[in-house]
Amino acid sequence: MVWRQLHRWIGLVAGAVAVVLGITGAVLALEPVQSAWQSPAAARSLSVAQLADRVAAVVPGAEEIRRLPSGDTVVYAFDHGEPRASRIDPQSGQVLGAWEPSATLRWLRNLHRKLLLGDIGRLVAAGAALAMALLCITGLVLLQRRQGGWRKLGNRVRGSPMQRLHCAAGRALLAVLLVSSLAALNLSAASFGLVQLDGDTEPEVASRSASTGDLAPAELALLQQTAVRDLRKLNFPSADDPGDTWHISTAQGQGWIDRHDGQTLAWQPASTAQRINDWALLLHTGEGAWPWALVLGASGLSIALFWGTGLMLWWQARRLQPRLAGNRPLPEADTLIFVASENGSTWGFAQALHAALTQAGHPVHASTLEHFATGARTRQVFVLAATYGDGQAPAHAARALQRIAQAPVTSATVTVLGFGDRQFQGFCAFAGALESALRARGWPSLLPLARIHQQSAQEFALWGERLGKALGEPLALQYRPSIPRTTALTLVSRQDYPGAVGEPAAILRFAWPKASWAQRLGGRALGAFAAGDLLGVLPPDGAVPRLYSLASSAHDGFIEICVRRHAGGLCSGYLHALQPGERIAAFIRPNPGFTLQATRRPVMLIGAGTGVAPLAGFIRGNTQRAPMHLYYGTRDPALDYYFGAELQTWLQEQRLASLHTAFSRAESGGGHVQDALQRDATRLQSLIHQGGAIVRVCGSQAMARAVAQTLDAILAGMGLSVQQLKAQGRYAEDTF
Amino acid sequence: MKKPLLTALAIACALAVPILAQSREITITTQLKNYGGGGAYLALYLSDAKGAYAGTLWVAGGKTKYYKHLTDWNRLSAGDAKRLAGVTGASVGAGRTLKVTADLADALIDAGYEIRIDAAVEDMRESPSEVRLPLTAAGSGKAQTGKQYVQSLSYQLK
Repeated sequence: MVWRQLHRWIGLVAGAVAVVLGITGAVLALEPVQSAWQSPAAARSLSVAQLADRVAAVVPGAEEIRRLPSGDTVVYAFDHGEPRASRIDPQSGQVLGAWEPSATLRWLRNLHRKLLLGDIGRLVAAGAALAMALLCITGLVLLQRRQGGWRKLGNRVRGSPMQRLHCAAGRALLAVLLVSSLAALNLSAASFGLVQLDGDTEPEVASRSASTGDLAPAELALLQQTAVRDLRKLNFPSADDPGDTWHISTAQGQGWIDRHDGQTLAWQPASTAQRINDWALLLHTGEGAWPWALVLGASGLSIALFWGTGLMLWWQARRLQPRLAGNRPLPEADTLIFVASENGSTWGFAQALHAALTQAGHPVHASTLEHFATGARTRQVFVLAATYGDGQAPAHAARALQRIAQAPVTSATVTVLGFGDRQFQGFCAFAGALESALRARGWPSLLPLARIHQQSAQEFALWGERLGKALGEPLALQYRPSIPRTTALTLVSRQDYPGAVGEPAAILRFAWPKASWAQRLGGRALGAFAAGDLLGVLPPDGAVPRLYSLASSAHDGFIEICVRRHAGGLCSGYLHALQPGERIAAFIRPNPGFTLQATRRPVMLIGAGTGVAPLAGFIRGNTQRAPMHLYYGTRDPALDYYFGAELQTWLQEQRLASLHTAFSRAESGGGHVQDALQRDATRLQSLIHQGGAIVRVCGSQAMARAVAQTLDAILAGMGLSVQQLKAQGRYAEDTF
Repeated sequence: MKKPLLTALAIACALAVPILAQSREITITTQLKNYGGGGAYLALYLSDAKGAYAGTLWVAGGKTKYYKHLTDWNRLSAGDAKRLAGVTGASVGAGRTLKVTADLADALIDAGYEIRIDAAVEDMRESPSEVRLPLTAAGSGKAQTGKQYVQSLSYQLK
């Protein structure tokens, strides 16, 4: 797909100019807003004849009345050899003061229109406008692909904070930017004379000589019929040329009036091109329509945001570009790796696999998936496929399925590994489609399709172990994600639970380190966080960081996580050995799809085991007293009922509206959390259907699946489903 | 600050007057005020004793579509199809000087002819007949100030 390339390169190349034009445009847009507040307006009924009469009486030697696009009325006069320009109040004819066009605005306008250069600058600016229009169109295509179709364009945008900012702001402002840039192109065309705005020739007219003197403006029919609101310019007949005429310009056209008998000598209606140009001017400048000027100004400023975030997204993707040491040509390799990656992150895994297999003595060839093919020496093929948007192929691999359908089948094994995000409906859907296509063609495989959630290094390492067994050779996959800057956190307290199956757990509370301004500016501070965001903890040997859901927000002034110790769990063992006063190295990983915005709506919180941690954080932060209902499944109230005491307090304080527990290993404990849901089905139905409730689920993947099935069954009668709730952004899961 | 001088090649004006054997070189110097705006469009032209158009000496400004803002010249010279032939150049910046040289028939001097200049600047007022300077042998070297944009207009006869 060429859309992404177009969007990226136009954006990178023309973006810098567009930013300058956007910022200057935003400042210029303030002028119509300001003059809307300052310029005295003309009443609808006021005619040009009345205005000219007042001006003639008040301003000696008036030669021209001009209505500026900003709404100001200016009179040019020539009085005793001195040129004067005055702002006047059209309604009263009062002179408000001398009129001085602002040099700053002129400079800004020249920068905006032609980058302070001549026609070259105008061409560059026109090029930037064309680029902006193309960026809007390509961006829209990319956005609908990302969202999974035109119909889902309005759905919540998912992805990293940077991606979401770029896409959501784009969705909001795209139409404005497109209109503005197309209007700008129209103005450029007119300025270069590609569009003929008006006839070159003006009618040959002169006032007929007469013995009578001049008529007063009030006696001229054309001036009586024209409202001041429509006036652009009125030229008085010259004092020393008896043949000179009145000349009036309006949005509708221009006319010439005899000074002696008041006849309209000629009328030239505005051409269609001129009218289109007037519209383009209005749409591009917002002059005379200050609310639109405000919108335009905001969109102008947003260009800098798009360019900045776009640049960072491109840079991130570039950093992830493969640097494969010792990549062999396909015919020489016995192992092939094909990668489908939208933003390059999957290549990091491909690199780790490439290195491990090369170390094991295989000649390995890696390439992008659209080059899928096998050679005579090929023994095994690995397809590492990310899924883009809601279940689609990454752009470059869009035609990979057709290619696979046509490739001759050999005895080589083809193994698929999918990468995706469980927040999405179509989690690893593209990898699933590849798997089905390959099996339908009859390719054998070493391992069944595996799916990696949110680039989890642990899951990848497990897959590597299974792969090593299948290949019959040990394989050490060394995937090193780039680790963000960490902050030292001090443990202040721990609450221990024996756990129900011999795996103890602890609620660990760390002090929030006070960061100096210097640290904050240098990005060395921890940064703000909300309950439901993730705390990345670095084990002491510097291995891959582990992520834990936060049970507190920055607002609480401490950092709290709930950790169960797994047998052989490197990081959980390390955390469980911590004593108060000891420190860990950690960072915050935002989890924006899951965190809760302040809301007055009912919230259904569904958690199991240590999965209750972020939910406890939501309740702790619920000082608004929004109706929150917790469905909490664990094994035994005596052994692993995390946050039990706090939950009672929060109930009394009404931070928690109701609590529904299920203890699977306790006598008449009520089974699992989905049983607790089932028992409360009627209320759930009304809260979700009529109450517009928001749902948050946290626990193991199996638990999340069971909960979704149960809820689907409960909601089926209302014609609702978990999928719909997810699409509306009302349902999110955090699973481990 | 040294001001660049824009110099025109000698141009014989297409005049309605029969060209006599005698002609003189005239250099017209137009110095602009610092009026605080973009480049000025200027039209230097001649009118006869009756105020009728008698030929164009120079038009400064790159885009023909703006020539209509030089209103007097545009109106008076409308019938002259050759009014722009070889006498156009770039617009003149605020504070800059324009020098134009032409060959004039002797018969035009001291015969009621006037040198006129129209000026216009983008987003500022038009100034038709900014200066009207009688073309006389005695007037050579004497400067006149314009209404709006022209600091001084003078000519030298050789």
